Amino acid sequence: MTVPAALWACVSPVLIGVRHHSPACAAAMGPLLTALRPSRIFLELPPELSPWLPWLGHPELVPPVALAAAVPGGALSFYPFAVFSPELQAVRWAVENDVPVIAFDAPLTGRSVRDSETGDDRLVERLSDKLGVSDSAALWDRMVEARAPGQSAESIRRAALSFGWIMRTDDVRRARRDELRELHMRGLLDVHGREGAVAIVGSYHAAALLPEPLLWTAPDQALPEADPTTVTSLVPYSEALLDARSGYPAGIHDPALRRRLFQALSSGRPETVDDVVAEAIVAICRRVRRDGHVAGVPDAAEALRLTRDLAVLRGLPAPGRAELLEALQSALSRGDGIGRKRVLARAMEPVLVGEGTGRLASATPRSGLLPHVESLLSDLGLPGPEAPRSPVDMRLDVLRSPKDRRREVALRRLSLAGVAYGSPADGLAAGGIEALTRRWRMSWTPSTAATLAVASLRGVTLKQAASGALLARRRRLEAAEGWTAAARLTWTADAAEAGLLSATRAGLSELAGTFVLEAGLPELVGAFALVARLRRGHVAALPVDRALGIPGEIDVFELPEAVHPSLFLAAAVAAVEGLAGSERLEDVGALLEVVSALQHQPGDGPVVGTARLSQAIERLSVDGAALMQGAGAALGVRLGCARAEDFAERLGGWVDLVDNDLALRLQGALLAAGPLLSSSAALLEPLAGRVEDLPDTDFLARLVALRRGFHVLAPHARDTFLRAVAERTERRHTELVAPLVLSAEQLGRLARADLEGRAAAEAFGWTGGGAVPVRPSEATEDARPVHALSAADRWRLVLGRQRDQLQGRARRVGRALDELYGDPDSGGGQEPGFVTVREWSEELEALFGERVRQEVLGQAIGAGRGAAASELDAETVRPSVELLQQILGLRGSLSEAQLGRLRPLVARVVDELARALAVRVRPALTGVAMPRPTRRPGGPLDLPRTLRANLHTLRAGPDGPYLVPERLVFRSRGRRSMDWQVVVVVDVSGSMEPSTIYAALMSAILAAAPWIRVSFVAFDTEVVDLSEHASDPLRLLLEVKVGGGTHIAKALRHARSLVRVPRRTVVLVISDFEEGFSVDGLLAEVRALVATGARCLGLAALDDRGSARYSKAIAGQVVAAGMPVAALSPLELARWVGDQIDG
Amino acid sequence: MDAPRQSPPAESVWADELAFLAELDDGPRPPGWRLTPRMVVTFIVGSEAELVGPQGRRRIAAKFVGDKALVERSVLTLAGTRGLLLVGEPGTAKSMLSELLAAAISGTSEQTVQGSAGTTEDQLRYGWNYALLVARGPSAEALVPSPVYTAMSAGSIVRVEEVTRCLPEVQDALVSILSDRRIAVPELGTVAHARPGFNLIATANLRDRGVSEMSSALKRRFNFETVAPIADAAVELTLVQSQAAAILARTGLPPGVDEAVLKALVTVFRDLRSGRTEEGWSVEKPSTVMSTAEAVSVATTLGLSAAYLARERDPLSELPGHLLGVVSKDDPEDRGRLLAYWDGAVKRRAEGEARLWKRLYELRTALDDA
Repeated sequence: MTVPAALWACVSPVLIGVRHHSPACAAAMGPLLTALRPSRIFLELPPELSPWLPWLGHPELVPPVALAAAVPGGALSFYPFAVFSPELQAVRWAVENDVPVIAFDAPLTGRSVRDSETGDDRLVERLSDKLGVSDSAALWDRMVEARAPGQSAESIRRAALSFGWIMRTDDVRRARRDELRELHMRGLLDVHGREGAVAIVGSYHAAALLPEPLLWTAPDQALPEADPTTVTSLVPYSEALLDARSGYPAGIHDPALRRRLFQALSSGRPETVDDVVAEAIVAICRRVRRDGHVAGVPDAAEALRLTRDLAVLRGLPAPGRAELLEALQSALSRGDGIGRKRVLARAMEPVLVGEGTGRLASATPRSGLLPHVESLLSDLGLPGPEAPRSPVDMRLDVLRSPKDRRREVALRRLSLAGVAYGSPADGLAAGGIEALTRRWRMSWTPSTAATLAVASLRGVTLKQAASGALLARRRRLEAAEGWTAAARLTWTADAAEAGLLSATRAGLSELAGTFVLEAGLPELVGAFALVARLRRGHVAALPVDRALGIPGEIDVFELPEAVHPSLFLAAAVAAVEGLAGSERLEDVGALLEVVSALQHQPGDGPVVGTARLSQAIERLSVDGAALMQGAGAALGVRLGCARAEDFAERLGGWVDLVDNDLALRLQGALLAAGPLLSSSAALLEPLAGRVEDLPDTDFLARLVALRRGFHVLAPHARDTFLRAVAERTERRHTELVAPLVLSAEQLGRLARADLEGRAAAEAFGWTGGGAVPVRPSEATEDARPVHALSAADRWRLVLGRQRDQLQGRARRVGRALDELYGDPDSGGGQEPGFVTVREWSEELEALFGERVRQEVLGQAIGAGRGAAASELDAETVRPSVELLQQILGLRGSLSEAQLGRLRPLVARVVDELARALAVRVRPALTGVAMPRPTRRPGGPLDLPRTLRANLHTLRAGPDGPYLVPERLVFRSRGRRSMDWQVVVVVDVSGSMEPSTIYAALMSAILAAAPWIRVSFVAFDTEVVDLSEHASDPLRLLLEVKVGGGTHIAKALRHARSLVRVPRRTVVLVISDFEEGFSVDGLLAEVRALVATGARCLGLAALDDRGSARYSKAIAGQVVAAGMPVAALSPLELARWVGDQIDG
Repeated sequence: MDAPRQSPPAESVWADELAFLAELDDGPRPPGWRLTPRMVVTFIVGSEAELVGPQGRRRIAAKFVGDKALVERSVLTLAGTRGLLLVGEPGTAKSMLSELLAAAISGTSEQTVQGSAGTTEDQLRYGWNYALLVARGPSAEALVPSPVYTAMSAGSIVRVEEVTRCLPEVQDALVSILSDRRIAVPELGTVAHARPGFNLIATANLRDRGVSEMSSALKRRFNFETVAPIADAAVELTLVQSQAAAILARTGLPPGVDEAVLKALVTVFRDLRSGRTEEGWSVEKPSTVMSTAEAVSVATTLGLSAAYLARERDPLSELPGHLLGVVSKDDPEDRGRLLAYWDGAVKRRAEGEARLWKRLYELRTALDDA
């Protein structure tokens, strides 16, 4: 492509084409101007900013700084200047040499967004094959920056002008706006005189400023005049904000690297550019090492060699930024998707981005955020510095009153920017219900001014300061590994509530990106709600209605195509499978929310089908833990994938189960479908029939479980249920007796009389016979089942309502149960409780028998009644994992003395469990591997065996006997099966789970094997190494403290430090994988652990149910990182460990 | 001279171009190299214009569709002291790239070790002709050199495909080869030194299950280059089309598959691979790899069935069945995911105007009862 000579040769004025933040142009600027000695300098800068030019060129000023201008009702324009900005170098030269500078760009008035620096990138597409660049910035780097070392200032100027010419030729549809600006510039050139002047413009514009303009047609309209009310400011800036990744406008990648390239270029010795690159590589490697990863001298040397060779291959005089980055990736990243690259990125940031901050000259006038906020507050009628100090309360009708909407937005932004001014006076979104009005309390205090001063470092307008604070929060979280799914959701919600358009967009695209892969059910449901609100325009700060927008203050929002509520709903549906092993009631709630969100989707746009959820829920109802089976069965009906009658039958069938199996299934089903049951007679029938038909003893055996099951319903819901059952009983009587031509009323009376008669007879000890309905088959038996408890009484006991209507034995039963499951609101007739636990315990035994007594006492312990434990006899107690779970869960609330009394009980339970488990598990662990002879080549040749196997081929040869080996025998590489190490890493962040108990038991059993050394690590956000107690499950279980957050990565790091001989180490990680810190960090640790060569296994659950409750999304990524995740029973685990050791 | 080969190596397919490029640039070349680094890059990414050499003019065909900078870095790595490790999803042309590099640099791509769980150290170092060894004792004739050993003594590039499929202890045999550049043969009391020009290209899959992780000692001796799936849909479509046509042409068949069908095929592959459709809808990714190579093989099968079986049916009706075959390999849930994709993205496209997608949606039963 030929560039017209006029562009280079023009002297009226001399054209210096630049690109903002170009070290090459900045370094050339001083020598060029000194050589040209212009009488005036035209600078591409809007006239509104020209009062600041003397301060910008002030010798005391330390870059980076930024000029900002806010046109009333328009956008904010932002002009950052670094030491390597050609414009800043020009202004400095002009101030020093006392040459006038004319800001000759068009006024900002009417400008909507900052004009792009270059045309679009179509040309670049064509050039990309030749030069291997991907956008115009890369093209500039390749054409100008990379070629600058060793070039004269004049040839840098020419290269820059050529770049502008290429961009301009390619840009066929030049923006009208650009041509208007160029018209304005031409006008000013003519007014002030072209001769002897220098014009410093974006290289794209240069051709239009020639006396005979090229590629330019005069537009036929004029630009609006400058608005005198435009607010401008000059503020200090920092390299961190200057970096394009900070999210601030007009930024550039890697400012610190460019600063040093600028210094090298202006030193006049091009070879120093090479030094800059070498220093950067060494500094980065040092930082990688400081973070505990490998990056030695060979790595640095290879990166530097590659950098230099790439420059040579590409025909460049010295390596540039692109070559440096490519070589670093190649030589240091080790191909490790996220883990290692993240380490590298973290090391590169301080070296390449830098930590420098700017400073203004001391006499510079005050400008920026403080005056802006003061005028905004007085405009909105909110208390300002002159108002009385006492707080003002205001109720804002944010969605209807335009002024209130503006106030809300301003208050949100102020609090986001960290300014102490207003605070919400009531819950903003209590209970997830959208409040229509909001109350705020605000006052201007001295701390308001102080915090505003801090916030002003982040921007010149409130909006900018708020989004700056938000971006800073994000960087802080990222650095601390806290950028979790939950944090991302909150961040996006905050951005949306404060009306920060671009941050909201960025947040939403994060949500639509990795968030979906990591978030748990609650976050996904939350994201669904947020996006749905945004879409409807219910977020006050981001209206969707164009009429509600206020330019420069409240932006109109449009949900990006790619972000749709359905996205999160679909992910939530996919996450449902991870709940299979859950025994938490909250999870049923989350499931319900997913189902109801699915059924109330916005009608337009993509809709998530029910097929996948139905499939998942069906699976839950078959394979899930008891609670999930119940919930799954009920939700299947709601989704229409299961027939209501089948559900009803299953529900009835569950009554034949006992204890936890029954109680949890009922809980799940009732939580998910309580109202449905009480409103449909047909659904109720099988359950009610079963409960009423059970013989008394069987009923009493199940009563506790039934009561527990129904206890999840609120009292009023149970009342409804009771009415539904009563109606059913009545209807049944009518149906049965109707043929006898009696009126319903008569029948009712008769039935009541019968029952009362029987109750009276029972009170005298009568135990059935005569008129009691008995089934024929049972009638012949001696011990005939007793149906002394009436249907109504049974339901009163099950539901725990209308207890005042209970009589006789039923009353006693009710009282014993109320001790644990009583409602505080009292359904009438509250009887005094038991004075002592002993009394209660004895009553339980008398009424229900020993098994139920232990069960109820266990429940009582689980509910926090420690005293109940004293009633459990260590000798006779039935050891079960559930009981242990209940007792250990209590531990935190007990005193040492109480704990001491419990010890024998726990000791016996643990002992019994461990013994029973060991019997099952141990056989899987025995078996020793020895080197075996094999015919497969691989190991060393087993010479003696080979000789023996081939003796038959022996024959005489010229120099002695001669053997032709036909069959070769090798020694297989026998692994030494001695000295294995098993590291058990247990997540104790949730509650005391069966998995935790089994982990302790298993570690003791493993430790009992003589060739295995067990390390036991428990963690939440802290890591506790309990390896010294690994052989004592009792100690382990008593030492473990439950609760807190989850930091798996930290625990894995510790586990890695425990690994001695990776090849003979097994690491078991028992966790639900709901990492509370950055998932990237977790994955990096998993990779590091796997890379040591240790055999790793993640256990989402370790118990006998085989189903787990875990984060499916994160576990999936852990698997991809190299650690398999499974839900195993202890026996399966033992087999696995055995296989590894035998291997 | 040769009997026809099913898949001739790169150096004989492109023999003319290699000879042309060797004469074109007489600049400095690393010791043992056939071409200068610049010409190796040109050979792989092709030249846009005709190049003028001593033997006339020639346009170099582009053989690798992808990032040019990646190729440049790979070439320079091989000129240095570290090995080159190409990692990426299966089917991203890693093996092809390594073959081209070896052919251009050493003139042969035949020194290759295919990694597998059964690979032994013998295949990376040297083995013995045991009959001779036992009968005559250790001697140079009894030694069976591995491809690595041969490449070292010839000063050429050796390729180790799927290095992560080898057992870790076998992989570690490469550590000393890469750092010392020699193999000691204690049985003979000799040391085989690498001649200039020797280097090693390894490839590794990121997605395959059951891979052995590389030790960090070995990782440090490699520069890593990640080969990404093809970013541009149009480029991928062209590639699938031309590759399928080339395979069919080798068997003397016409490139029989309709472009619209291929486009649908590539679209489905891209959607399922990225988890997001072109329209921005999200779909659930199956656990199987949806590589371009698989798309080529489906396209080829469609062409073969059109030519040999002369089906009355249109090729579109066979597409769902093939997709099911590709998707449901190891995880039974993948069938559910494919069905969900059909109920989501395919249905929505069918609701639009696209007739092809309507037809595809009607073929959903093929997935259900297969």
